[in-house]
Amino acid sequence: MTHVSKTYPSQIAALADINLEIFPGQFTFIVGPSGSGKTTLLHILFCSERPTRGQVIVNGIDTTQKSFKKIYQLRRTIGMVFQDFKLLRDRTVAENIAFALQVIGNPQKEIQRRVLEILEWVGLLGRERDSVLTLSAGEKQRVAIARAIVNNPPLILADEPTGNLDDQMAGDVMKLFMALHQQGTTVVFATQNKDLIQRYSYPVIQLLKGKRVDDEIGIEVKAET
Amino acid sequence: MRLFPKTMLVRAIQNMRRNLFLNVTTIGVIAISVLIFSTFSLIAFNLASFLKIWEDKIEVIVYLRGKTPATEIESLLNKTRQMEGVEYVKYVSPSDAIGFLEAKLGNQKNLLEGIQPTVLPHSLEVQLKKEYRNSTKIGEVVFQLKQIPQIEEIQYGQEWVEMFSSLVHILRLTQWVLGGLLLLAMLLIISNTLQLAIASRREEIEIMKWVGASPSFIQVPFYIEGMIQGLLGAGLALFFLFLLQRIILLYIPLSMKDRILKIPILFLPPETLIGILLGGMVLGFLGSFMASMRFLKVSE
Repeated sequence: MTHVSKTYPSQIAALADINLEIFPGQFTFIVGPSGSGKTTLLHILFCSERPTRGQVIVNGIDTTQKSFKKIYQLRRTIGMVFQDFKLLRDRTVAENIAFALQVIGNPQKEIQRRVLEILEWVGLLGRERDSVLTLSAGEKQRVAIARAIVNNPPLILADEPTGNLDDQMAGDVMKLFMALHQQGTTVVFATQNKDLIQRYSYPVIQLLKGKRVDDEIGIEVKAET
Repeated sequence: MRLFPKTMLVRAIQNMRRNLFLNVTTIGVIAISVLIFSTFSLIAFNLASFLKIWEDKIEVIVYLRGKTPATEIESLLNKTRQMEGVEYVKYVSPSDAIGFLEAKLGNQKNLLEGIQPTVLPHSLEVQLKKEYRNSTKIGEVVFQLKQIPQIEEIQYGQEWVEMFSSLVHILRLTQWVLGGLLLLAMLLIISNTLQLAIASRREEIEIMKWVGASPSFIQVPFYIEGMIQGLLGAGLALFFLFLLQRIILLYIPLSMKDRILKIPILFLPPETLIGILLGGMVLGFLGSFMASMRFLKVSE
């Protein structure tokens, strides 16, 4: 990410001249208080927002080029996890996870196999037919993580995934992200939780009022495909 | 790009089930609009077919001047036979005419007592070739006949033929003007319903985008949904039109049946039915396309 700025039409500067580089397989915390620009930064990486200025390269693709149109193909290489889970409330656990596989046209048998595999990995095997409404917050976040990683994306963006969870649940969810990292997945983890940052010795990018205020400065976000 | 047609159809049907009330309402409104349009089509079609039957029976009666000598009649007959558009000419003498009148009056033929055949004119019954039996072509034959000085009067029910032709024309015009407005209304209705459907599934669509659904994966089920709505609406309208026609036939008073049944009351021909069904589908597609253009910006 090089000299990236984002200003909204209301003239509010969400990000100002951000430079950063995240290497493949790296676990990176993005920290900062509310309104510091963490979510905007993740949304720019995810191509759901466009920067006002600057260059963004994700998984080797310059997403700020005008010729770049196939955002959906890039998104298949990125798993996104949200604080509020964003699950389909009228579906079961399995249906929510299968959704990500159906969307990209996987065959039904492969979907069934992969869903069970991923449910086992997140510790929810046996809950596949339960409605997501019956799950605890921690379980919902595990379903959201399962959905995000079911397609084996090389990059995971997590926007305060432990924000709605108590310490115990947050710890469980954090273990899943660490396991993903150990498997070689690049993880960008936005959080306000200082305890979490102190507990784990991963690189930290600190934002304050849209500006980068830590000492580490890089230029690119990259993950292996 | 793979489109997974079966999956798309299944998803469109699932979407319709999830928004059942909205879809039933749209299908109902489309059905009413198509019913109005196809009712006009049916009336115009029947009037046109009635006009055709009538035109097939059209013949021109030519009344000769009273003083036309009998010797000239043969040459007049020949002259008329040679005219373009004339198929057959029959001479009707005054005594033949009296005989015809007596047969028509039946028991009341005594009304003709004292009337001498000589008061009736000599006449010719001119039957036209099939392609000349319409309000425009008949005029050409009449024009040729008018050039013959021995002819006093020509009758072929011109006022009726012209009035009826105008009526069919007006009906067809009304059908298309009203139809055009109804089609526009249908487009807006389908488009608005699908906008509501899209709004009610905003969350799902967002998640689709996040997990990498292609624009066609998101949009195609909406197009299919619109096409199904259009097809079902048009199908329902034709079904009700058929019932309506049957009911009308059933409730025609017995006294009128004898007369009316001589004129067949037809249902729309298969090609029109297929046209209406396909038209419904196309409208549904356009409506959903409009809705998706406005509300499914899937590139972001």
